[in-house]
Amino acid sequence: MSQDDRYKEIIKREMAKLKKPVKLKVFTSQRVQPDGTKIRACMDCGQFMVLLRVYEENSNGMLTIEELSIDDNPEFAKRYDITRVPTILFIDNNGREIIRYLAAPKGGEIQPFIQTIFTFAGMPNYYETTIRQNLDRIPPSTIKIMMTETCPYCPQVIAISNSFAIASEGKIRTVVIDIMANPDIGQYYDAAGVPYTIINDQKTLVGMVGPNEILKALIGGNIRVQY
Amino acid sequence: MFNIDMESIDLEKIYDLIVLGGGPAAIGCAIYAARFAMDVLVVGKTFGGLIATTHIVENYPAITSISGQGLMDMFKDHMDSLNIPYISDAIRSIDKVDDHFELHSFFQKFKAYSICISTGTERRKLGVPGEEEFAGRGVSYCATCDGPFFKDKIVCVIGGSDSAAKEALFLAQNTKKVYIIYRGEEIRAEPINKKRVYENDKIEIIYKTKIVEIKGDNTVKSVIFDNGKEFDIDGVFIEIGSTPNSDVAKSIGVETNVKGEIKINRKSETNIPGIFAAGDVADAPFKQAITGVSEGVIAAYSAFDYVKEMNIEY
Ligand SMILES: Cc1cc2nc3c(=O)[nH]c(=O)nc-3n(C[C@H](O)[C@H](O)[C@H](O)COP(=O)(O)OP(=O)(O)OC[C@H]3O[C@@H](n4cnc5c(N)ncnc54)[C@H](O)[C@@H]3O)c2cc1C
Repeated sequence: MSQDDRYKEIIKREMAKLKKPVKLKVFTSQRVQPDGTKIRACMDCGQFMVLLRVYEENSNGMLTIEELSIDDNPEFAKRYDITRVPTILFIDNNGREIIRYLAAPKGGEIQPFIQTIFTFAGMPNYYETTIRQNLDRIPPSTIKIMMTETCPYCPQVIAISNSFAIASEGKIRTVVIDIMANPDIGQYYDAAGVPYTIINDQKTLVGMVGPNEILKALIGGNIRVQY
Repeated sequence: MFNIDMESIDLEKIYDLIVLGGGPAAIGCAIYAARFAMDVLVVGKTFGGLIATTHIVENYPAITSISGQGLMDMFKDHMDSLNIPYISDAIRSIDKVDDHFELHSFFQKFKAYSICISTGTERRKLGVPGEEEFAGRGVSYCATCDGPFFKDKIVCVIGGSDSAAKEALFLAQNTKKVYIIYRGEEIRAEPINKKRVYENDKIEIIYKTKIVEIKGDNTVKSVIFDNGKEFDIDGVFIEIGSTPNSDVAKSIGVETNVKGEIKINRKSETNIPGIFAAGDVADAPFKQAITGVSEGVIAAYSAFDYVKEMNIEY
């Protein structure tokens, strides 16, 4: 089986297990052609949407991917500060952005993306109790995770950070950034290593980090634990 | 895999075996334990372990050549086929309570009659000024992870082991030039990798040299040698061995040697009944994925015997 087929198999097998509905918004850019029809104007958007439809089509109708053109939805794009396409947003019932992907969920990123969809749908979240117990000590935070497609440890840091964000009732937001696709962001942070995790544009965690290290950095002190 | 399926995890139950780690030794142990019909849970800080960071593995019997990540994907598939639950978490201490152990992380408490510690090692740091400051900005401990950032640039690998040689060979594929900087007189790579290094035009070895400082502005720009010379470089890959992650073992009094490696016997037993260890964290002199798997498999067998002796039904 080719690697691509193997990945498709994983998406098919796992997405079929989704039991609750999830809606994601994907921003692309579209251009009107002389004959009045629309085509996607951004280079990567076509393939990106094909990939996301694989997730959607295998979810027994549970996952809905809503494609929004920034040109047709300027208000919405402005509200969520969409500055590049394609962008995936996980938005909660209160309209709060919880997770943003500036990265395609392919290759090693399939597993954390699926886990994020399931946790977002309400699947029990392993980290929830401890996150809630420490929530009063966590300031409103953004975790930016710089990743590349080939990085072996990135998927795990992403899975953990996204689970934290979902458990945090809107206090933590994650942004997953493929720095090969968005080299300017990598350069802005001088990142030449992945995973490169930045908390509130202040603290940087380089390389493989476990959930305890991320939480400690968010709190800025020791973790309170009550089993 | 790190798809934590909470429905398959019972935090109240006393597991027959909890395996600590997410590398080859841990997964090898868990696969055998599951086949012994033991109730097994794996708790690993990261899945894949150290081997996942190497671009090529050519010495895992029956697999001629595969990336480290590819090898661990196969371990993952095997583990999934046996429905072995896995949790992304780090255990920080272990206590003995009556007839079982309690394992504490920052997120949960677990219970098990037996434990296999396969927590591997932590990369050794050079300990020179600039190393911490430029981590992720030119200083790296993983060529597969960070190599792509140094396309057409000049980098160095510090160290003289087989791992250092392999990292240099990988980096040579896309960089302009790779210097291996080694304090010894002859690199200690496997003969096949040594030959590849010698034959690679892009790789040059600087012997009997240590780095005393890493310098730069926003990113690495140069290193200072122990002879005082400043050497221009864009990336520094540190590959000078590792130290065992045995603190959690020590928390319950597991015996270690002077290097901090867990002492085990041929049954992968430690000095504490019910606690076994396997892989790079243990005291075997030769450390490879296959040797770790072997110790892990033996640990599963010994744990099976141990739990059976306790007359626990499963
Ligand atoms: C560059 C390089 C190239 C290599 N090439 C080869 C090769 O070609 N062939 C080969 O056979 N070997 C190779 N090796 C060696 C090989 O990687 C190791 O021998 C092997 O990974 C050891 O496996 P392990 O499971 O014992 O430990 P590791 O792979 O180190 O795994 C340890 C695991 O324990 C986890 N952990 C740590 N602390 C805790 C905790 N407190 N709680 C829970 N989990 C924890 C870690 O996150 C990790 O998942 C190479 C090593 C390097 C660095």
